[in-house]
Amino acid sequence: MSMVIPAPISSRRIPVLPKRGQISWFEIVLLVMSFGLVVSGIAPSLQDVILLSFLFAGLGLAWNIAGGYAGLISFGHSAFFGVGAYTSTILLLRYDISPWIGIWAGAVIAGLFGAVLALICARLRGPFFILSTLAFAEVVRIGALNWASLTGGPEGLSIPPMASLVGMVFASKTTYAALMLGYLVFVYAITKGLEASRFGYYLFAIRDNEDAAGAAGVNPLLGRTAAIALSAALTGVGGSLFAQYFLYLDPTYVISPELSFQFALLPAVGGLGTAIGPVLGSFLITPLSELLRSHLGNAAAGLHLVIYSLGLIVVMLYFPTGLAGALNKLTHWRPFR
Amino acid sequence: MSTLLQLILSGILIGSVYALMSIGLTLIFGVLRIVNFAHGEFLMIAMYGAWAVSHLFGLNPYFAAIAIVPAMFLFGTVVYWLVISPALDKPHLVVVFATMALSIFLQNAALMAMTADLRDIPPVFNRSISIGPIYLKGELLLGFLITILCTVGLQWMSKKTYLGKAIRATVQDGEAAMLMGIPVPRIFLITFAGGSALVGLAACVMVPLFSVFPSVGLNFVLIAFVIVVLGGMGSIEGALAGGICVGVVQSLSGYYIAPAFGQMFFFVLFLLVMIFRPNGLLGQQGAAMVGMNE
Repeated sequence: MSMVIPAPISSRRIPVLPKRGQISWFEIVLLVMSFGLVVSGIAPSLQDVILLSFLFAGLGLAWNIAGGYAGLISFGHSAFFGVGAYTSTILLLRYDISPWIGIWAGAVIAGLFGAVLALICARLRGPFFILSTLAFAEVVRIGALNWASLTGGPEGLSIPPMASLVGMVFASKTTYAALMLGYLVFVYAITKGLEASRFGYYLFAIRDNEDAAGAAGVNPLLGRTAAIALSAALTGVGGSLFAQYFLYLDPTYVISPELSFQFALLPAVGGLGTAIGPVLGSFLITPLSELLRSHLGNAAAGLHLVIYSLGLIVVMLYFPTGLAGALNKLTHWRPFR
Repeated sequence: MSTLLQLILSGILIGSVYALMSIGLTLIFGVLRIVNFAHGEFLMIAMYGAWAVSHLFGLNPYFAAIAIVPAMFLFGTVVYWLVISPALDKPHLVVVFATMALSIFLQNAALMAMTADLRDIPPVFNRSISIGPIYLKGELLLGFLITILCTVGLQWMSKKTYLGKAIRATVQDGEAAMLMGIPVPRIFLITFAGGSALVGLAACVMVPLFSVFPSVGLNFVLIAFVIVVLGGMGSIEGALAGGICVGVVQSLSGYYIAPAFGQMFFFVLFLLVMIFRPNGLLGQQGAAMVGMNE
């Protein structure tokens, strides 16, 4: 996985299937299809599913920067999601600052939270790192529940549902879908840029062998901190967008272990440490989860998580490279030989 | 003065109950070198079992152990066969995700079956035992005794029996143990199932003390990991020492710092230990470093 094969001259053409650091036809077709779905004005009930798939694909990609590329598996990313969502919403409600600005403020603060988490876990690896991320998110959640003067406590915060461009509240779901697709493309572009960049290679080195990376002149602590901060900031952006779409926030949902699990699930099913993986994972799982939710409703609380977790066990045990791994196998598929 | 003594004593007692719950985890950790993220959910299931037995049959929860401990042994065996064993020869990430998914699965299956309501059983002893000015809960005292018995029994087992020696050999060097004719996969299975059975025993001790609800495992699993880190992985007496430390800190901080802090206690304690003492109390074994390179 860590082997880098120099590209021969002939592959300067656009490759058909996704490749690290290169744009492929597969991705271009997927983007055109997504864009087509947005502008085609499909039934509103489906638009819900589509725009959530975009949002969660972006969130899965953001998680993947820490979890997949840097090997820092986190089950506490909902903390950053919540921090982003609360920052932009509080700026809007209290100081009347447009979410177009608030989102970036949220990203900065979520990034700072990420850096703090990275420093807390500076000496931890593997399982204890994961448990610390869980504990960190729980502390943030309980803090948000109890600091009612800022966050509204358990009652949560509501954004007035008045459509306005400045307030980033729209009447039509098509606009929201375009916004979420924009977010997805933004995070995807960052991920693709990361793959080809020096920083990206630092992260692969830290993930694959931290001691060797350190010996080769990579600062592991700096790399880990930057990776988590970037991942957290992008997750925070997603949180703000989520708040602008649902117009309601409460700590029990936006900072929950279930949500953190969902962020990790999408890349794990799609393929960890690949750019296309989280996108494929989200396009597969998000519609499935919405379908389950709309059909079963609250009658069976937790059923969708039961199904997810069983699915994840099977995927992990038998297809650890995920959907992207299956796609990758196609590259070596020679039917006429 | 007597308040302080009271706090320390009840801290020791509650800490020993925490230790009992962590022994299974530390054994599995030490022998298989994997972290079972679903440990807390094993405890949750066993607590529901003990609750159901004492609720339906009106039995004393301590007698429920007769049914719960073998049931958890069986449950551990099944989980080992289905999830742990296929993941053992794969990258570390696979075990992490598989046991994490197992924990989410058990939690939500419990949520569906039992709803989110808190389940309690009435207290077993109707009055506290008093020694001078100090009052001690009978359930805690009994839990303390069971933990001590368990620790001594396990120590004896690991020193004197073939199984115990085989387990220690596997901990020291799995490959060498295999070459000496120790059936390492079977040792893994017995350890995993035995660790789960110990969780069953801990659940029977804890059910009169704590309410049961589907996500109860998260609090306790963090405590169990703190204890394992503090005591050194795979060490049974270390778990006892670590558990008592945690219990005393909890009881003192709950009284002197802020009771409202209690909700966050487990999480903050976990993070503090991870920042300042990731190598344990004695700093001899880097438990927190397991799994960094497979």
